[in-house]
Amino acid sequence: MSVTIVKSGVKRKTLLAFAFVALMLAAAGSTSAELTATANHDHIKIDFFYHGSSVSVRGISDQGTDLVIKIASPEGHQELRKKGKLAGFLWMNVGKLTFEKVPNLYSLHSTKKLEDILSRDEMDRYGLGYSALQKHAEIGPVASGDEKAEWFNQFVRFKESSKLYSVSSGKINITEQGRTQNYYVLLDWPYQALPENYTISVYAIKDKKVVETAETHVLVEQVGMVKSLAGMAKNNGAFYGIISILAALGAGFGVGMVFRRGGGAH
Amino acid sequence: MYLYLPVALTSINVFIPVGLGLAVGLLSGLFGVGGGFLMTPLLIMFGIPSTVAAATDSNQIVAASTSGTYAHWKVGNVDFKMGFYLLAGGFAGGLFGVQAIKVLNAMGNADFVIKMTYVFMLGIVGTYMFIESLGSMKKKHTEIAAPAKESGMARFLKALPLQTHFEKSGVSHSALLPIFFGGLVGILAAIMGVGGGFLMVPVMVYILRMPMHVVVGTSLFQILFNCIEVTFLQSYTNHNVDFILAVLLLLGSTLGAQVGALFGRKLRGEQLKIILAVIVLAVTVKIVLDLTLSPSLLLVQGGGH
Repeated sequence: MSVTIVKSGVKRKTLLAFAFVALMLAAAGSTSAELTATANHDHIKIDFFYHGSSVSVRGISDQGTDLVIKIASPEGHQELRKKGKLAGFLWMNVGKLTFEKVPNLYSLHSTKKLEDILSRDEMDRYGLGYSALQKHAEIGPVASGDEKAEWFNQFVRFKESSKLYSVSSGKINITEQGRTQNYYVLLDWPYQALPENYTISVYAIKDKKVVETAETHVLVEQVGMVKSLAGMAKNNGAFYGIISILAALGAGFGVGMVFRRGGGAH
Repeated sequence: MYLYLPVALTSINVFIPVGLGLAVGLLSGLFGVGGGFLMTPLLIMFGIPSTVAAATDSNQIVAASTSGTYAHWKVGNVDFKMGFYLLAGGFAGGLFGVQAIKVLNAMGNADFVIKMTYVFMLGIVGTYMFIESLGSMKKKHTEIAAPAKESGMARFLKALPLQTHFEKSGVSHSALLPIFFGGLVGILAAIMGVGGGFLMVPVMVYILRMPMHVVVGTSLFQILFNCIEVTFLQSYTNHNVDFILAVLLLLGSTLGAQVGALFGRKLRGEQLKIILAVIVLAVTVKIVLDLTLSPSLLLVQGGGH
């Protein structure tokens, strides 16, 4: 499992950058402990019996720091249908809304309520909390900022209903150990989360500011028959369709024959 | 026990699709409907994306209607000649209906037209069947045979060219009649995105004057071909047939269709019609409630209606 040490705001991209940051830390004579983050598994395999999973994140941080753990998929584009009232009383699909720069999965857990430990600016800078996500997202077509806020709230409700978005505080378990503290959190991994490479980011917070971040990844992947069936449906639709039809015809006739034999007495 | 569905990209308790298949297959074998108007919304309710639900249901109906057609064919209740004429009309109607949807989409009020067509067709068909079968049950009870009177409509139908006799159904019609009504149902079914069994059954009973038991078998026969076509097109163009979900559904539905066909032989035509009418009316009420009650979520996945 990769463990990354990063000073506030700087992200490790290559080994070179890693070395550079380490040098900077040394040069600054920093006394802070290194923030670490480790997930219990970095590879979730979707097979036929997959029904979600659980992921634990643990690591070490400076004593007395607050922590925020964010799990997110890469940002993307999503198109949804919106419901509205027609003729004053009929609920129907009244058009489409496009959400840009929003993650498909977003799960945020903090030691205390986010608003109590972070300033607005810091939340926005690191994309922490729904309001930061909303500012970053692009939604269209909407007429005003109010309308954007309203539809973003609906978007969050939609995502929460399928367990893809969640925000909580107080779940993170902390045990002090001298000048450092160990943290641990166990999270449900929803089966609705699509195959993708997810990033787990841990933020150490002091005086309403992010002072350190660490990062690790969880790859969700289809394997075996699930992978081959999904691939065939996508890349070889005609063959897949014919197989599906033949299987259905075979099953229908098969059951019919069984009933004819078994049902002779009727 | 849970299984992961590779195209729907979700996990489901296997007892849900098997149970749903059993229930809807039973209705299919009893009444000669595909049951898409029940199955698709139920699958969506259990977390299957709407486009996958509709496409996979058509795959499942291939199995259920094969099983049902086979059961009805064994006892001589499939009018293949009538079935082929209806299919020919239905095929042409389907092509026309798909074009109609494109026009509606371009005009921007497709959803409204689709929902309203659905509610009105279900409501009218359900109400008519209910009143008619209630009436004929009462008539049977008092042993009064209504004198068959020759209406203007009947004279017009008799005057059409290409008159032919349908042996299994024991009726004579112009070949144009099943082709025309098959086409009409095809158009409506394509617009509503359903198989159209609940429309085809009343057309066969009230317009083509076929006996109820032959109606059920013949309807299943033509549904089988429609659903083969739809399954192929959905797999080929939209890639949203979930094979695993279809297998789970058909485990229940093929069995249900046999039980339904067996059970149907013990019921009289009027009884079958009135039960179907009640189910159609119940679905109508459900759709009207969906349209008028505030939804819990104002955003839904794209695709589907």
